[in-house]
Amino acid sequence: MKHHEEGWGWMLAVDFFFAGMGGAMLLIAGVLDLLPGEAGTSLLGNICGPLFISLGACFLILELGRPFQAWRVFMNPKAILTIGAWTMTLAIGFGFIYASFGLDVFPWSKMVGLRKLCAVICIITGLIVATYPGILLGRHKSRPFWNGPGMMVLFLLSSLVTGGAAHLLSAYLFTSSLAGNIAGLNLTVALLLAFQFLVWLVYLWVKISGTTTREAVAARRWLNGEFAAPFKYGFLLAGTLVPFILLFFEQRGLTMVAACLVLIGGFIMRNLVVSSGNIDRTWLPGELDYRSRLPLGDEEFLRAWNNK
Amino acid sequence: MARYALVIDSRRCIGCHSCTVACRVHNELPIDMIYNPVTTVGPKGVFPHVRMMHIPLLCMHCDNPPCVDACPTGASQQRPDGIVWVDQNKCVGCKACVMACPYGARVSNKETGTVQKCDFCMERVEDGLLPFCVKTCHQKARIFGDLDDKDSDVFKLVNKEPSIRLLAELGTEPQVYYIYSWEV
Repeated sequence: MKHHEEGWGWMLAVDFFFAGMGGAMLLIAGVLDLLPGEAGTSLLGNICGPLFISLGACFLILELGRPFQAWRVFMNPKAILTIGAWTMTLAIGFGFIYASFGLDVFPWSKMVGLRKLCAVICIITGLIVATYPGILLGRHKSRPFWNGPGMMVLFLLSSLVTGGAAHLLSAYLFTSSLAGNIAGLNLTVALLLAFQFLVWLVYLWVKISGTTTREAVAARRWLNGEFAAPFKYGFLLAGTLVPFILLFFEQRGLTMVAACLVLIGGFIMRNLVVSSGNIDRTWLPGELDYRSRLPLGDEEFLRAWNNK
Repeated sequence: MARYALVIDSRRCIGCHSCTVACRVHNELPIDMIYNPVTTVGPKGVFPHVRMMHIPLLCMHCDNPPCVDACPTGASQQRPDGIVWVDQNKCVGCKACVMACPYGARVSNKETGTVQKCDFCMERVEDGLLPFCVKTCHQKARIFGDLDDKDSDVFKLVNKEPSIRLLAELGTEPQVYYIYSWEV
């Protein structure tokens, strides 16, 4: 039943996608740098991390009703959105500083200790940026599909696989074979994809079978409803299973195709999750019926009224 | 300090939507914004045992309002007397409160880019007047008052009549009480 309902727009889903991917890119770059041996991440990959978070922040600002007042979101330290905004700002700053160590023109590019310190900060801020959308959504008590800690795991996993795929894509743009710690990223991303596949199945199964009727109704949209086709074929098949197989070949071309598919899958998943929370709320008695009778906003009489 | 609350006697409500209209007129809301809808459950049953109930909805002015915690700008606030309101100068229209509110009580104003909601007509309340929806209800189905005042009608009704609070299981401590004659 179509109904009039307030909710977040598609730009928030795009923010979740870019910010999560960028945060995970910082996290991965930092971890690979701290491991023994050369990190092997590309300069492009290291720059893209904070760049993607910035891009996500731009979409977040555009989503606001008053974009020019965006600075106000830093004002309430109790709100998780404020914590996210501050962490994104720190991640962008330290991400670009970390990337600058790859450019010889900067005098600090040879200071290994400082770079390692920066890598640690990137790991912490990147982890928070990659995880916080899941925490934000999971705290919504009246959004049956989001509610619970599972959303945090799903978002962290999706951020890690898309961040890993973006690093692989960046590295393979300039070389035919990977060297250093990043050489093991193919297998790591493949295993994370397999884990992501399993976690999604378990998440849906728990929502359908083990909790409230409202959660079951929301979860069934993903298997039989309007989300079923993009979820099954776009996210699970094309965005998870196919790249999982392709990544095991460890060939440049196949890995790049796999990475692109992972990014598309992650994008689809973010959009579906945000839409799911918008559609399914814990309805009050008679409310859904009432709202289904309200105009959706594009009716002729409304346009005429608003233009009078 | 007062603790304002609203009691809705659903046995008296006839679903005339006067409260909805009064609210929209007083607050000069755009055509697609409603603070206090009235929903209808039923009719259920078979004649002569047919039942129907009208349920006026509005902001529940919760004691533990998730919308206030979710607001990143501090625009959503709760006064010491319990009234939850939105400072329009601080609101950036991020809709975090819209998503956090379990009661669907917050609406975006496309013209201003901000989020708005029922504030119990707090300017009127400060002047000792009743909210417009309460004043308008000709069936006296809406009873507004101070829950901390033992002589108030709301205190007496909440403590003597069988009443429920919507989605109380979420821990939001809503301060709108519904007196009912049958389970929804």
